[in-house]
Amino acid sequence: MLKVVIAGDRGSGKTTFLGMLYATGVRSGSDKRDEFRFHAPYESLEEITGLFERLMSGGFPDRATKEGIRGVKFQIGSRRSGLLSRFRDREWDPSGFVTVRFTLLRAVEEEVSRLLKGSVVAKDQMHEVLDGDVVAVLVDSTKLAARGERDAPSPMGKFDQAIEWLFAVTYRLGSHPGRNLIHPLFVFTKFDRVGRDVLRAAKVGAKPPPVGRRSERAAYAEALLRHNLPRTLARIRERDGGRVIFARPSYFFAWLRTASTGAGAPEKVLLRRVGVGGWEPEYSRDEYLAFLSCLQGIAPHVGG
Amino acid sequence: MPCALLGDRASGKTTFLGLLYSAQVKYGTGITDDFRFHAPSGSLNVMSAVYEGMKDGRFPSATLKEEITELSFVFGYLRKIVGKLPYYIRQQNWSRPFSTLRFSAYDVSGEDIEEFIDTGIASRPLIQQLLKSVVVVVLVDCSKMTTDIDTTPYRKMLRYDSTVAKLLVSFQTYKRQEYSHLRDSGVRADTPVIYPAFVLSKFDSLRDDVLARLGLHRGFPSLDDKRARKEYAEALLRVFVPQTLSQIRGGKVAGVSMDRAEYFLSWVRTETAEGMDVVGAPRIVRQGFRPEGGGEPDFSYDEYVAFIEHFRDIAHKIPDEVLESEKFHTQAS
Repeated sequence: MLKVVIAGDRGSGKTTFLGMLYATGVRSGSDKRDEFRFHAPYESLEEITGLFERLMSGGFPDRATKEGIRGVKFQIGSRRSGLLSRFRDREWDPSGFVTVRFTLLRAVEEEVSRLLKGSVVAKDQMHEVLDGDVVAVLVDSTKLAARGERDAPSPMGKFDQAIEWLFAVTYRLGSHPGRNLIHPLFVFTKFDRVGRDVLRAAKVGAKPPPVGRRSERAAYAEALLRHNLPRTLARIRERDGGRVIFARPSYFFAWLRTASTGAGAPEKVLLRRVGVGGWEPEYSRDEYLAFLSCLQGIAPHVGG
Repeated sequence: MPCALLGDRASGKTTFLGLLYSAQVKYGTGITDDFRFHAPSGSLNVMSAVYEGMKDGRFPSATLKEEITELSFVFGYLRKIVGKLPYYIRQQNWSRPFSTLRFSAYDVSGEDIEEFIDTGIASRPLIQQLLKSVVVVVLVDCSKMTTDIDTTPYRKMLRYDSTVAKLLVSFQTYKRQEYSHLRDSGVRADTPVIYPAFVLSKFDSLRDDVLARLGLHRGFPSLDDKRARKEYAEALLRVFVPQTLSQIRGGKVAGVSMDRAEYFLSWVRTETAEGMDVVGAPRIVRQGFRPEGGGEPDFSYDEYVAFIEHFRDIAHKIPDEVLESEKFHTQAS
């Protein structure tokens, strides 16, 4: 089982991200081409279906939903297209199915700080986190700051420190026999709202390079993170006695269109019509698919 | 073998059962005598009362639906080998002439299921019986299929989708655990299979604008074109119950195949006054009297016959697949 820790600042969209991952699984898992199979165990469905209903009705997760979701488990599998459909059933290879356990780290700063103070209770509670094979860092794009002339520190400094510590403690305190590397993934949430000045200062375009151009995307993302998460970037490049600890990071750019419902009222999720397939939130589906695909790629290299 | 018929409140379950009763009355009394139907007295009373009401042009009343908490019936299919034996032997119970499927109808908005969905604890006998089902028939109410996302029917359909998806996953979980117990006990068992079937109920109420928006033509493909039927039905399910569809396919990932889904329609023609709205409750159109019978409600009879026939092979096949499991449970208890 691949253990994925989702860490993000307050309000960075962790629950929404998980909900949209589920929505992506549902949509692809019911697609006409039938090339992707998706299963959520019963214990994960209770909260995630409620979240799905909210998102598909145009609502964001409420406080109770956020509190309720600590983690979910998905099982995913893909097959290549192009083979004769009559042989399709045989083509599903159970050994290619991947089980992914997502654990949400709600308040990353508090949790990591308790752990660093030596709290045994915190270590016990953080077990799932420390044993993570993948750490997905959700970076709230609305909080990204532009590098100024005076080179003032980014307002994301505290978050940067917490994430750096998270990577450090995940490596030092948690390990399971099959884990050789920790895979860092960075997801820029609310990327449609990133400040123009931030993009200008980082000398990058408004749109990130498309999925598939890994090195271009890495350069684009790192240009944005260099000023905002410098300590984290330094940490994941660290080696332990020459041995690589962290895998090369992957970057994703998530967004979800919203509509204003009037002054003072909460924003609504904008739904769009999908061909002849009904509705879905207007979001960066390709990025979510790439995220799931990335996890499928990592899973075979993780034991235990 | 236990089978479940799942439907929401007012999804057309009682009407479906009344029409199924009507279909089997006609089909089960044919000269081939290879299909039998049985229902416990309580269920039979309700189904026959629904049937009588329909022959009088009326839909089942709400009070009739409340009269009984559990509706069930049994389909019996003559075993192929037994069918070749002399009539006298065939009539003997020891020859076990029929493969049977025992269907029970469940209201997914009912108290028992809601409690199970909330807690995940299968403490009630009804839920334990439900989870043992090897055939799951899901009624999808076409009258709630709307393209207007700010309406109550849209939200009801979303909720129904979540509930059915959770139930299907609980079936898969149960079957998977049962399979593991068998294997751990040294019993050879095949990979578990659940046979799903979807009934698109109130199909005549599916609005043209909904079909047009989904790029579908009005007529559902004929019974001999299974592939086209699957594509048409899945095009509707993909939009209105996507979680259910994805979890059915996902059964393969969870180690319980639910890939052999079939799709059926249910409709009953109602009286319409041209250019005018019907006042009061709609009335069922009945067919005229003919040599083979008369005064029957005008409904999708062929679909009901196909529904009955679909389970023939499954009924014959299932005992082999679950016999070991039943033996195991008997030994354990």
